[in-house]
Amino acid sequence: MRMVSRPLACAALALAALLGACASAAPPAPAASAAREPLPYKLDPYPSTYKPLPRVDTLIVGAVLLDGAGRRLDGADLLLKDGKVVAVGPNLARPAGVAVIDAHGRWVTPGVVDIHSHDGDFAMPMTANDLQTLDVSEISDPNDANVWAEHSVSPQDPDFSRALAGGVTTLQVLPGSDPLFGGRSVVLKDVPANTVQAMKFPGAPYGLKMACGENPKGTFGAKGRFPNSRMGEMAGYREAWLKARDYKAKWDKYERDGGDPPARDLKMDTLAGVLDGDIRVHMHCYKAEEMAQVIDLSHEMGYRVTAFHHAVEAYKIAPLLRREGICAVVWADWWGFKMEALDAIRENAAFLDAQGVCVTLHSDSPMVGQRLTVEAGKAMAAGRRAGLDIPPERAIEWVTLNPARGLGLDGQIGSLEPGKDADVVIWSGDPFSVYSKADQVFIDGALVFDRSDPARRPVSDFELGQPVLEGRP
Amino acid sequence: MRRAAILVLAATLLATGARAQSLAIVHAKAYATPGAPPVEDATILVRDGRIQAVGAGLAPPAGAQVVDAHGAVVTPGLMNAATQLGVLEVASTDDAVDQAVKSGPLGAAFDVEYALNANSGLIAVARADGLTRAISLPTGSAGAPFAGQGAALRLSEGGDILDRPRIAMAAVVGGMTSGQAGGSRAAQWRILRNALDEARAYGAGRRGLAPRDQLLNHLDAEALAPVLDGRMPLAITAQRESDIRQAIALAADYRLKVVIVGGAEAWRVAGLLAQARIPVVLDPFADLPYTLDQIGARLDNAAILDKAGVTIAFALTDGLSSVYNNYLAGEALREGAGLAVANGLGWDAALKAVTTGPARIWGLADHYGTLAAGQDADLVIWHGDPLDVSGWPDAVFVRGEAVSLRTRQSELRDRYAPGHAGDAWPSDYRR
Repeated sequence: MRMVSRPLACAALALAALLGACASAAPPAPAASAAREPLPYKLDPYPSTYKPLPRVDTLIVGAVLLDGAGRRLDGADLLLKDGKVVAVGPNLARPAGVAVIDAHGRWVTPGVVDIHSHDGDFAMPMTANDLQTLDVSEISDPNDANVWAEHSVSPQDPDFSRALAGGVTTLQVLPGSDPLFGGRSVVLKDVPANTVQAMKFPGAPYGLKMACGENPKGTFGAKGRFPNSRMGEMAGYREAWLKARDYKAKWDKYERDGGDPPARDLKMDTLAGVLDGDIRVHMHCYKAEEMAQVIDLSHEMGYRVTAFHHAVEAYKIAPLLRREGICAVVWADWWGFKMEALDAIRENAAFLDAQGVCVTLHSDSPMVGQRLTVEAGKAMAAGRRAGLDIPPERAIEWVTLNPARGLGLDGQIGSLEPGKDADVVIWSGDPFSVYSKADQVFIDGALVFDRSDPARRPVSDFELGQPVLEGRP
Repeated sequence: MRRAAILVLAATLLATGARAQSLAIVHAKAYATPGAPPVEDATILVRDGRIQAVGAGLAPPAGAQVVDAHGAVVTPGLMNAATQLGVLEVASTDDAVDQAVKSGPLGAAFDVEYALNANSGLIAVARADGLTRAISLPTGSAGAPFAGQGAALRLSEGGDILDRPRIAMAAVVGGMTSGQAGGSRAAQWRILRNALDEARAYGAGRRGLAPRDQLLNHLDAEALAPVLDGRMPLAITAQRESDIRQAIALAADYRLKVVIVGGAEAWRVAGLLAQARIPVVLDPFADLPYTLDQIGARLDNAAILDKAGVTIAFALTDGLSSVYNNYLAGEALREGAGLAVANGLGWDAALKAVTTGPARIWGLADHYGTLAAGQDADLVIWHGDPLDVSGWPDAVFVRGEAVSLRTRQSELRDRYAPGHAGDAWPSDYRR
């Protein structure tokens, strides 16, 4: 029974030409063993049904193009064919039957990737009921690794269309930071849909949200529960990882020797997925000393931290993060609202980038999620003010290629290189300026947002038929 | 080079310590009257903390300290029209928050001026971002819907930041706050009106009601007197169109000076607000139906209100931007003003909304808002465009004094700048 969904999931992936991703989700084939199918805890029973929207091959001409891979091309053309980037460069030939968009005086970048969003599970509008039962966080246990963010996501959240209008094409929706283990994230394409599955990025690895510091101990300590201290938090992680290692060992044995399968445990499923290297750890941590402890913890337990999120003190331990190959996911300027945020500096991104750490700007808010390039602009300005020369072709990576790397999708999205998905934004001007807007947004080559065409501007069900949205002068 | 020259001069000004008797900023692109074209190659003369004159190519008087702006934009210091600066330090911990009272006798009588902390880290950051004035408004009290009285701040150094106390009476109305009135915004409006009635009776010395029938205590009744006689604006935080219409009706019925704060759906009644001369302090970032009270939130709210003739100012009051409101009271104000420009508001109108707009709304235009002779010399010399995120302040003056742009953050920046990896001694030794 449990095996049934595997071929379906892989079929869907194959349809989307993502064989690599499907293969990576499966364990190596056992030599001579009873269990030849992937272990049940590794399957995705909620597979993507995403299909690209209708598209036409498109040539975008004459733009200032930041390719996301470090290059700036002035007056460049970009050819999109069958949902892929085919060519980038000056004066490209114009194939027959291709739609041409004149982008002279405008800027073109890869689609923006928001690696830390709560859109959909922090859905608008909020009501008084949500104050107690917010869909963004399960807070019934310090270990909520059994919950999956996608099961909270409302695809009709108006936040999605606002983010799209800000050039966002891919976003990772994370559970909140109250528990030690917040649960699984989900990676979505920012396409209008009625089901979460239809937004799900085919083959994207899952993430596990974990959290350090004030939030978990505050949430649980206030209820007189464990943990109420930072050392309690570390103990909580360690106990869970020890259990997960045992759990994984049982499945490994089953895979090797056969016999009765171990009893499933949803929390342990996710943690074992991390130990297998299939699920990426996205860890909410503000303070330098906590990040350093978590790095040792990951060595002790045998897993990798993909990224520290918020990471306001990452600049204090840049060499450590570079050595470990851990990305720092940061705000441009948020600071001070809690004790662990007091030492945030606006040069965080620039200082980390200058020291070779993979840096990403994130939103954590539907307001900021509409203008991540402006966030990068702020971080770039702070760096320049501190004497670091950060060109636009570098800063754009902070919201495109670097977050794609954090999601394990940099082979597919994040830059405008031939063969990559045609996720593209045409901006009215310098994307780092507050005055610029995304004019057109393409996802897999489909024009999913066009500021000049009301028929290509999605409106959520909630915003339909609202008298207060009518009658604009 | 230009920037370096300004920094050197600003540092020189700081080093000389006390307020310069006479200061001349030369070669400025001076937005002396926000809303009007700038004075090119302007000299700005400052004496005893006040603007003496602004004119193209004026010669600095002998003995004046001279700062060469090298053609940079100079504006009045900016003003955030609704913050909790001075009464908020760390939002997550109650002992560092003085912006509201949850219990006790104080409602309308709650007054933030007694809690103001000039040494707040938030004020240093705001000042370094070009903010020289702010309103500090209370956010709630036990006597809801009244939140209490706000103060006007000038963000000078040295401990004295109170520009004017009791600048406004704050009230908060709406679905998320109606609980204290029993669960209905209708009750909020009734309680508000009753309070004004009782305060009027109290002021007139009438004792029509037995004390036990009065809802208002004498402290609150006294605090409302200047609202009733039109000296103190009633700042009503409201988002929904229906509440804004109630506020307009209240202003007419009681002949009050009303200011709408928030006003996500104010654009719906722009004509009525203009007619009633009711200004709006709005959040230029608000474009989401964060609650059911602001389904109509949209980014061209500012542009629509301005076009209708409503006086506007900016504050970051939307629930989604609680960090912006105070921790980034200067930087986010500038970004928000730029965002309003991107959505149809003229650049000149946006500059007004962060200078003369709030000065007029809160009754400070007699001494702050422009670079007219006699005004307090609050000035910012900008690197680039003050309303875009690529710009920043090169020098900030409050009442003629160059203020330090140092903050805890700038100290951390200097301590942890790349290039110290090989240091043998820990960073705590670096200062």
